[in-house]
Amino acid sequence: MFRNYIKTAWRSLKKNKTFTAINVLGLALGLTACLLIVLYVVDELSFDRYNNKADRIYRVNEDLKLGNNSVNYAVCMAPLAQTLKTDFPDVEDAVRIKRAAFHVKKGTENILEYNVAFADPSIFNVFTLPMVNGNATTALAEPNSIVITETTAKKYFNSTNVVGRDLRIDDQAGYKVTGVIKDMPKTSHFNFDFLVSMSTYPDSKSDKWLRSDYNTYVLFRKGADPKKLEVQLPAFLRKYAAGEMQNELNTSIDAFEKSGSYFRMNLTPLTDIHLHSDRSGELGTNSTVEYIYIFSAIALFILFIACVNFMNLSTARSSSRAREVGVRKVLGSSRGYLVIQFLTESTLVTLGATLIALAAATALLPAFNQLAGKEILINSHTYVWLLPVSLIIVLVIGFLAGSYPAFFLSAFQPADVLKGKLATGFKGGWLRSFLVVFQFGISIFLIIGTLVIYNQLNYIQTKNLGYNRNQVLVVKNAFELGKHAQSFKQEVKQLPGVASATLTGFLPTTQARSTSIFFKDASMTDQKSSIFPQTWQVDDDYIKTLGMKMAAGRNFSSQMATDSSGVIINETAARFLGFANPIDKQLYQSLDGSRTHFKVYHIVGVVKDFHFNSLRENISPVVMRLGEDTGDLSLRVSTTNLPALIAQLKEKWSGLSSSHFEYSFMDQDFEASYRSEQRIGKIFVVFTSLAILIACLGLFGLAAYAAEQRTKEIGIRKVLGANVTAIVGLLSKDFIKLILIAITISSPLAWYLMHKWLQDFAYRVNIEWYTIVIAGLGAMIIAVATISFQSIKAALANPVKSLKSE
Amino acid sequence: MIKITDLEKFYRTEEVETIALNKLSMEVRKGEFVAIMGPSGCGKSTLLNILGMLDDPDAGSYVFNDIEVAHFNERKRADLRKHNIGFVFQSFNLIDELTVFENVELPLIYTGVAAADRVKRVEEVLDKMQIMQRRNHYPQQLSGGQQQRVAIARAVVNNPKLILADEPTGNLDSSNGNDVMELLTDLNEQGTTIVMVTHSEHDARYSHRIIRLLDGHTVMENIMI
Ligand SMILES: Nc1ncnc2c1ncn2[C@@H]1O[C@H](COP(=O)(O)OP(=O)(O)O)[C@@H](O)[C@H]1O
Ligand SMILES: [Mg+2]
Repeated sequence: MFRNYIKTAWRSLKKNKTFTAINVLGLALGLTACLLIVLYVVDELSFDRYNNKADRIYRVNEDLKLGNNSVNYAVCMAPLAQTLKTDFPDVEDAVRIKRAAFHVKKGTENILEYNVAFADPSIFNVFTLPMVNGNATTALAEPNSIVITETTAKKYFNSTNVVGRDLRIDDQAGYKVTGVIKDMPKTSHFNFDFLVSMSTYPDSKSDKWLRSDYNTYVLFRKGADPKKLEVQLPAFLRKYAAGEMQNELNTSIDAFEKSGSYFRMNLTPLTDIHLHSDRSGELGTNSTVEYIYIFSAIALFILFIACVNFMNLSTARSSSRAREVGVRKVLGSSRGYLVIQFLTESTLVTLGATLIALAAATALLPAFNQLAGKEILINSHTYVWLLPVSLIIVLVIGFLAGSYPAFFLSAFQPADVLKGKLATGFKGGWLRSFLVVFQFGISIFLIIGTLVIYNQLNYIQTKNLGYNRNQVLVVKNAFELGKHAQSFKQEVKQLPGVASATLTGFLPTTQARSTSIFFKDASMTDQKSSIFPQTWQVDDDYIKTLGMKMAAGRNFSSQMATDSSGVIINETAARFLGFANPIDKQLYQSLDGSRTHFKVYHIVGVVKDFHFNSLRENISPVVMRLGEDTGDLSLRVSTTNLPALIAQLKEKWSGLSSSHFEYSFMDQDFEASYRSEQRIGKIFVVFTSLAILIACLGLFGLAAYAAEQRTKEIGIRKVLGANVTAIVGLLSKDFIKLILIAITISSPLAWYLMHKWLQDFAYRVNIEWYTIVIAGLGAMIIAVATISFQSIKAALANPVKSLKSE
Repeated sequence: MIKITDLEKFYRTEEVETIALNKLSMEVRKGEFVAIMGPSGCGKSTLLNILGMLDDPDAGSYVFNDIEVAHFNERKRADLRKHNIGFVFQSFNLIDELTVFENVELPLIYTGVAAADRVKRVEEVLDKMQIMQRRNHYPQQLSGGQQQRVAIARAVVNNPKLILADEPTGNLDSSNGNDVMELLTDLNEQGTTIVMVTHSEHDARYSHRIIRLLDGHTVMENIMI
């Protein structure tokens, strides 16, 4: 009996090769896309879960508001970790991590390493970082001890058995490798190659409670409630910080809070950091949970579209098998048999599609990893959930797709089925109409979404940022040149092809940031009108080199001796300060936190606002002063022969320093800062296109089916004189009506949701009416093209042939 | 074998209600060969479908082999049908995806005959119908006459007591039609009861008795000699 089912099913699938291919491949394509997204989402959700104690680890954060300025920090004060451990029995352990960078000597070369952190010895108790060589409890106990990863060990020593070996750091001896750990997992919110004992860093012994520099993690005891600790934090903070507050800011915490300012601490669960945390001082670039939602939704949409296709086509095909059902019933098949037959058949087809999808997803994973910037692997751990999930998918989709023919067709009186009553049922299939509307609704929604996202990304890239990032070459790490940095700048300025040059690490595209408080009055008590701006040290070529514009006043000038105490502020800072005319007004900055020891600045100019944060955020206040920062040397170049210029720069550099010559272009640095957004955009476009393709595949199948169903009708109409256009119109009319309904329903919804998405950006595009028209028209054109192909084929067929076959 | 009394069947469409069978009563005895004739649309196929338990009547009684079956549910009807009744249709109704052999085998599968027995019985009946050499062909590869012989083979493979044939020669030329009528006559002579719907007086002459229907009602019965 079972063999007979499979035999009939197989032959019927083989006979309708086009349908079968569309059906199986459409579903396989949908499942593949869905699977890749699921792998992505699972990877994102798995961040930091490699830690055995992940559920007991929390990061301590600090929220600060001073006057108009508020900052949320991911870092805390030096004494915090130890004090929490002694004051709260619930805290089993705590660890501080401080990001750093240094040069490591390899042969004669000094390599600048960025993935470096100072860490307390407890890091190995809190986090799960397996030690390959060395003793985890003592490795970071002594100053100048360094734990490195396996890859780093191989890079510097060609071996992982290197405990006890020396490392030269910043060209100084005295550092020892005390341990080798496994490389940190990609799914960690921090990723370091070097862990240096915290005791190596003198500031780590500081007892200051108003300076925050350390990412601090606490490990709670089993069963402890972190909420309980969180409610005690205000009192805790008061106990330790009140004294310093009084001394340095001349205010009590009560008065401070009364003035609308605050200073608070809170906890973030370790496993929330990657998707939910976007604070100042994060150890790495985090993602946002919003993308997880968007991608999950797209995966569901695609799966839904693919399933709908599968159901629609299976159902459509099944009515052509109505006669078979009738005959089987006449010959004695009970309803149960038929139900089983159809369900078996659709489950087998789903199984086939799922197997293809699993193979395709595996094959496409490297390409997907590249697109998404991930390193996802399918391994035995993946199969633990993947196989059961696949099985569920096979059973659920198999059942859904098979249920219509199974239960609907088998319920008919055989006499009716044989009479071909079902053949006419195609047009009236309201369920199918509903599904087509839904499917196209989703596609149109996705088209609109993609267009809006693309517009926004494009807007970010072409927006006038208030400075000119084109034709700016950045020579990195000019501090490597030491005291020669200035002379290097002067020499470089003389080179043909260099219009101007500025020596500073404070660029709109870099992460070099420092903040401090400026007051409007010498008493330095009025926090309300104080500002908490980024304070950048620049030189007098800065404004010119970066192509910024002055709104008022003037640029720094080396001719003016008083400019050493002059500042240029941006328009936002001017607005925050509230001066009617800011030029020549004074600003006061405390030098050591006290009110007696301060410096007075006068405003020489106001620079037009320029963007240096993500466009998701509003521009914040900036104060620039003349300084000797030698972070980078930026050149405005006016030559087309860049290779020659770069060669010249390199030669000059090599004459002054043994370290590596590194450079980049500012526009590329800018692009890099939006890489994650661009990635997301690309992934979105790829999967949306897939969704639309799958939807069209389904429409193609349905149109083909409708044409086949009406072969006889078309034949008769042609015999009676209908031309091709009339017949194409006849066949397309029903579908076009459905697509119009889909457009009407989904475009307002898409408009609304995308409008909400855009609210996340401080600077954003509008959704233009033509975006929606383009999306609707696009969907319509694709659909009509798809349908026409089938309709024209049907219309051109020889009517004699179709009539004879009846 | 068959006794129906005051059988009624209506078809309701949105606008009209058609009375297909109107208080129809008739009887068919074991071993009889009965032809049903009448103008198009008078309810012949409806009657045959009800006799074959492919459809249920709206009112009246239907006694098959001394069992009242008018109220039977689908499962019981299917059970009774597969052991007792064979069907032959005007349009053959063979399954396109199955070969000649597999089409004929189907009723045996549904009645649970063992595989080895099935091969034997199918080959026997194909031999009898002289289509053995076509056993591995698909229906589309056969002529109309051959297809109808396959359909008859399928109808008789289970040795049913009753064969219901709805215009079995309607799609055939006269020579093929005569072959089919000869086959049915042979079967009848071996004891199978046959009820056949036909438009052809020529075909009707093969039967023992003609029942003439008009608008769902018996008009008269002629006994053939
Ligand atoms: N499924 C149906 N729905 C509505 N009316 C039907 C249906 N089947 C048959 N009829 C009507 O019932 C009557 C008898 O039909 P039928 O038994 O097929 O006639 P015959 O086989 O004698 O030509 C006709 O008037 C026909 O239109
Ligand atoms: Mg009829």
